[in-house]
Amino acid sequence: MTLAEKTAEFEIAAEELLRADLYDMLGALLARPPTPELLAMVKGLSGDASSLGQGISAMARLASQLKPVAIEAEFNTLFIGLTRGELLPYASYYMTGFLHEKPLAVLRTEMARLQIERAPNVFEPEDNIASLCEMMAGLIRGRFGRIADLGTQRDFFSAHVAPWAGHFFSDLEAAKASVFFAPVGTIGKAFMEIEREAFRMGV
Amino acid sequence: MSEQERANRRDFLKLAAAGAPVAAVAAVTSTTEAEAAVDQSREGLRDTEMTRKYYETARF
Repeated sequence: MTLAEKTAEFEIAAEELLRADLYDMLGALLARPPTPELLAMVKGLSGDASSLGQGISAMARLASQLKPVAIEAEFNTLFIGLTRGELLPYASYYMTGFLHEKPLAVLRTEMARLQIERAPNVFEPEDNIASLCEMMAGLIRGRFGRIADLGTQRDFFSAHVAPWAGHFFSDLEAAKASVFFAPVGTIGKAFMEIEREAFRMGV
Repeated sequence: MSEQERANRRDFLKLAAAGAPVAAVAAVTSTTEAEAAVDQSREGLRDTEMTRKYYETARF
């Protein structure tokens, strides 16, 4: 955690930090096969009776039951595959049916405006779900220079996340290869609903 | 945003998201990975993030 993030914690309300935590977790789980450290953390989680909480509990249970290699293999089947994975977690694909389409171009313009840049060692298009989760978390926490107000967050969410993320998480929940990632889909779907509802209350 | 709206949002998020606190996991994402542990004192091919990536991708 950087010093800027530490100071930011005193300025951001606790309930907004919960959102950032959820986005960060989804980003970490979907960016690459979960590392042993990440899985160890996931094992320790528990949730309440809501669908979000249920998803968290199921995921924690699976993290302790499944072998890390099995989870890695599942990640690869879902997102990498021999020619392609079972799912294509890109905004452009979900919104137009093709990769590298206009939604990606729009996102890149928006990223430039918000002063967000793709890391130099990443070659994946920026409109993948993990990156978008990281960007949402970054906007909330102020990782990109300053804390984004709710209006900025809502505009970004409505344009780049809301139109498709719910569908993607449903697909993830129901994918043939999903075991560990099924509850991740449940969590994402429930969380997207919460986000939508919360932004509807005004910014 | 009015004070009332702010309170509505706060209450809603607390109710909806507080049942699943995941702060511990979120902390993992901000660690910078192997890059920190590069040993520069050795001679020969240096063990850096780049060479590790190379070894990783070269393995079939």
